Amino acid sequence: MKALKLHQELTAIWRNAPGWRGTLCSVNHSDIGKRFIVGAFAFFAIGGVLAMLIRAQLATPASAFVGPEVYNQLFTMHGSIMMFLFAIPMFEGLALYLLPKMLGARDMAYPRLSALGWWCYLFGGSILIVAMLAGVAPDAGWFLYPPLSGKQWTPGINSDVWLLGITFVEISAMCAAIEIAVSILRLRAPGMRIDRMPLFAWYLLATAAMMLFGFPPLILGSILLEIERAFGWPFYTPALGGSPLLWQHLFWLFGHPEVYIIFLPAAGAVSTILPVMARTRILAYGALVAAVMALAFLSFGLWVHHMFTTGIPHMALGFFSAASTLVAIPTAVQVFAWIGTLWSGRPQMKLPMLYLIGFFVVFVLGGLTGVMLAVVPFDQQAHDTAFVTAHLHYVLVGGFVFPMLAAAYYWLPHFTGRERVMQLGETAFWLIFVGFNLTFFMMHLTGLLGMPRRIDTYSDAMGWTWLNLLSSVGSFVMAFGFALFTIDVGLQIWLGRHHRRNPWHAGTLEWAMAIPAPAYNFASLPQVAGRDPLYDQPDLGVALARGEGWLGATRHGWRETLAVDMVTGEPDHIVILPGNSWLPIATAGVLAGFFLAMLAGLYWIAPLFLVGVGAIGWRWAWTNGAREDYGTLPAGQGVALPPSTEALGTTGWWGSVFALAASATLFASLLFGYAFLWTVAPDWPPPQLIARTVLEPSLALLGAVLAIVAVRRVGPDGRTALAVAAGGQIALILALVLLVVLRLPSPASHAYAATGAVVAAYAIFHATLAATMLAFARARIASGHIGGARLGELRIVRLWSDHAAGAGVVATLLLALPGWIA
Amino acid sequence: MRALVRMSAGLIVWAIAFCLLYALHGLGCARGWATIRFGETSAHQTALIAGWLLCIGMGIGIAVWQWPARSGTLVDRTGFRLALIGVAATAITGLPIFTLPACF
Ligand SMILES: [Cu+2]
Repeated sequence: MKALKLHQELTAIWRNAPGWRGTLCSVNHSDIGKRFIVGAFAFFAIGGVLAMLIRAQLATPASAFVGPEVYNQLFTMHGSIMMFLFAIPMFEGLALYLLPKMLGARDMAYPRLSALGWWCYLFGGSILIVAMLAGVAPDAGWFLYPPLSGKQWTPGINSDVWLLGITFVEISAMCAAIEIAVSILRLRAPGMRIDRMPLFAWYLLATAAMMLFGFPPLILGSILLEIERAFGWPFYTPALGGSPLLWQHLFWLFGHPEVYIIFLPAAGAVSTILPVMARTRILAYGALVAAVMALAFLSFGLWVHHMFTTGIPHMALGFFSAASTLVAIPTAVQVFAWIGTLWSGRPQMKLPMLYLIGFFVVFVLGGLTGVMLAVVPFDQQAHDTAFVTAHLHYVLVGGFVFPMLAAAYYWLPHFTGRERVMQLGETAFWLIFVGFNLTFFMMHLTGLLGMPRRIDTYSDAMGWTWLNLLSSVGSFVMAFGFALFTIDVGLQIWLGRHHRRNPWHAGTLEWAMAIPAPAYNFASLPQVAGRDPLYDQPDLGVALARGEGWLGATRHGWRETLAVDMVTGEPDHIVILPGNSWLPIATAGVLAGFFLAMLAGLYWIAPLFLVGVGAIGWRWAWTNGAREDYGTLPAGQGVALPPSTEALGTTGWWGSVFALAASATLFASLLFGYAFLWTVAPDWPPPQLIARTVLEPSLALLGAVLAIVAVRRVGPDGRTALAVAAGGQIALILALVLLVVLRLPSPASHAYAATGAVVAAYAIFHATLAATMLAFARARIASGHIGGARLGELRIVRLWSDHAAGAGVVATLLLALPGWIA
Repeated sequence: MRALVRMSAGLIVWAIAFCLLYALHGLGCARGWATIRFGETSAHQTALIAGWLLCIGMGIGIAVWQWPARSGTLVDRTGFRLALIGVAATAITGLPIFTLPACF
């Protein structure tokens, strides 16, 4: 009875409002996760249809199926969709859905940010699909190299669609990265020490960290290319001091880590499913953690292996070649740990296991061709041939799609609460496995015979005809397999019989709840004492439902979960999560207005939308917090903890730390670009440097010092100090604007001035943000949100203000120094 | 967070080494250090070798610092392992300094 009452109370707090309103305003991680997964699968289907059109075109020589213009759009959209609209959102969805359940929490750290990410993804992805239907899809290849993607060679909006649409989608990736990292580090069940976390959490922690440092270079590169296309600032134009190689660096600085960003979550799923299928525990947990960490770092030292034929000096290529072969070692450590786990257990050939075997075969083959391509002379032969296409599909389909299919069959009972109906999944596996290998094994051969990537047609005399035909046949076999998989999943959702809890007899916490999962996950949170809580305590789920764990009672209608110490897992405070809201969809809608205005060339209207985003952001931040102190509150087990409004080191603070780390990475990429152009691009040093000046640097320095000193004196009654700090930020803005307007040559004249203007813009943006946050803090003191023990917001504002001041000083020095030194 | 940074310290040194070598390489080629003689070799190669040795030394320092932790908790042990991995990775990624032409 107690369980039922608790269930009703919690459901009333956590459920969505009925009807359309509830759907649009939902911030629940299970809802958002499922939406990401379904959306990603829809984009996968679209990308798959494009792939079949490509194979139809290449099935025979001199095909007249589509012309080169359409064909260019086909392969560009296929690659872009699979990378940005399928792979990343798919694992984001899986992570959003699973992580809180596996970690023993009731939701992610920022439910509204999850919802914002979803809407940005949906709207941004839709821009690309609508553009494709309108016949103006991107057509310069999924890595969009200038000069081909520049204004001269792509005068239409095709490249803009990619740059703006993908950047819009990347907002969701950045939201997810921050949220995943903070949720794993802080929102765990008490007692879940960091070395008791499920491996899936370790893998996703590494992935999230990689996203924080991997995506900013791409976002920066895209912004610069869009500015070049829109306003003619020459970042990538050699005649004016730019370099197309800068794009390649920025793109692959993201692009190679991206491969591991996709692979690691899938490997995390493998490490979760495999031991359950083998009825044992994972072997070498510690070695796997070390391997994952090593991969997360080393994979950042590989990006130039995509640029082995660009004429970079041999020694530099050697650095990257060495690092590229090195990453095979941690990957191999994982493979051996998995084999060892199978060896030591009693494996059962259930359906997820079948797909895992597919993963092993395909991924290991892809890894081996990867080592071949890491060797410079071989790469120079195989570069831009179908061999590379074959390799990347073996790695990505082997390393992501097969594990995700295994994950789908493994976790579907959790999503649906139902059993499988027919044995279609086995047939689907064999069609996909055989079809895949037929398609792509042949492409190794056509590649070695010299067939380039991306050609729309070829002559019979080349001798590639029958290999291409086999590839095309294979691709259609594979497509039938995916169709069958889709039917199988549909049947399970609608016709399957209801399933008991924990059907696989797994040990992780996501199975310690009723399936399908209730909106609040756990009626009370577990106390964890090992890595596989359900093996230690098989009836844990029932005890939790009765409210015998932590937070087993409701109060004030709050959505509560626990924050723990990162390392020890000791409970630290009670997190009060925000409820359903229209703010995320409104923010995404206004952002969509900005991106569409940019796409339409309405450059004077676009900034208005950003002001709108700022206004909604203010409102968003305002809705959090409390105006009174509650002191410590009972959290269960006889322990009392403070609520998040009165805690230090809140999730909000950690989220700001990670957001600023990502922003600083973007700034560092920009500084790299500046240094790169200065040393490598032709036509440097520029014809005209910034004039020598004392005024602006002094003003900037004064402003920064004021901001840094004053913000430290801000207390709950320090309104003057807040005003002084804001004044410092405004002085910084003024100094930088004067530098750019009065001293810097026109940004369209040379890459030097263009880069300088963007450096200044970065600092001005952050100083504006900081000034706004200081004003916000002042209003919050007046309203009583800041006061008493509720000082967390001030700490966050200080962080952002300091970052802005630091960035302002660096930007000023960078702008002013060349004039003094030269 | 401190525990995680400490755990990754060896790999952070590798990342610094990688950036340093790549930057020194590019800068040296742009400034023509390869043509300045320095004993048996060029100023460029000398700078690269010095940077490489410095980072290997830093990596070994991290490993020594983590030595007492090698039998501690999993996070400590991983930190020690990653320090060794960092030193090995630094050594290996720097080998092209000795074998390949620098600026063409
Ligand atoms: Cu790569």
